[in-house]
Amino acid sequence: MARLDDRGVADILAIAFMFVMLVLAAVFMHAYNLRTLQAATDRQLELKSEHLYMALELAWVEPYSVSFLRAAAENLLLEQPTVPESYLRSAMENVLGYLCPPGYAVTVSLSYDGPPWELSWPENVGLGIDAEKQFVKQGKVRLTMASGEKIAVPVTVRIFEIAGA
Amino acid sequence: MTLTQILKTLAICILVISFLLVTVSAYQQHLTISALAELTDVTSAIVTSLSVEKLAYVDNDEKLHMYSIDPAKLENCFTRLEIAGENFDFRVSVSYEAGGEHVLGPYGSAPPDDRARCSLAVACVLYENGRFLPAKLSVIAWRA
Repeated sequence: MARLDDRGVADILAIAFMFVMLVLAAVFMHAYNLRTLQAATDRQLELKSEHLYMALELAWVEPYSVSFLRAAAENLLLEQPTVPESYLRSAMENVLGYLCPPGYAVTVSLSYDGPPWELSWPENVGLGIDAEKQFVKQGKVRLTMASGEKIAVPVTVRIFEIAGA
Repeated sequence: MTLTQILKTLAICILVISFLLVTVSAYQQHLTISALAELTDVTSAIVTSLSVEKLAYVDNDEKLHMYSIDPAKLENCFTRLEIAGENFDFRVSVSYEAGGEHVLGPYGSAPPDDRARCSLAVACVLYENGRFLPAKLSVIAWRA
């Protein structure tokens, strides 16, 4: 160590260490600041998923006077739903394509005692259950059957980031 | 004092000054980003306020239809909102697809170029001619 001191290497090492600390501090301080903005952006996406759910719950499948989620619930439970499934899927894909935030995918899923009714937009992106960042809104669509039985069908609308987008 | 000692002292001084500059820069960035995050949240608040209250369709039975936009209210929308003692201006428009894209608006003054702006578009429903159509509510907000 005495030889290192003689050559001044210890001072150089100390200065190099301070330089590394300076660079790390700069990176961490600036990166940490960005988290605030990222959190605010995430809150906006949460709001978008809430609004998308409500839009699907309230907007009608033209020319039928039935909302998208109600039509999907009928397709899940009834043998003769108001809106035929192929027409509903096509109409819902068009709507999701129009309303979905750029760079994100949407899935709509309804399930009740049996195989679920699911739709993804864009196609072939999966359900996004394992997506790193996803914004989920869950609710229920209530239907009254011909027998008078009231059924609440759980609905999940999920917005998630498309990998590599 | 040897030349080596002078150089070492100089290097340490430069490092200390750099650290101070980095700290000041990070603080300024923090202020800028906090202001942007606040504006982002205010834009979300404006959108929520419009879709669930100010622009929401009210039927003949005085029932409020949240998330359903009434085009008549859109035309008379007051485009300034005070939040936490600070005034924010915004420009609002609603677009929907019916044989091609239609846009209602924009309503409100044009956003200034010299101030930070935040835009947000969310899904909503447009009440038109007795029908509930899927639509997009778009808002651009800035500090007044």
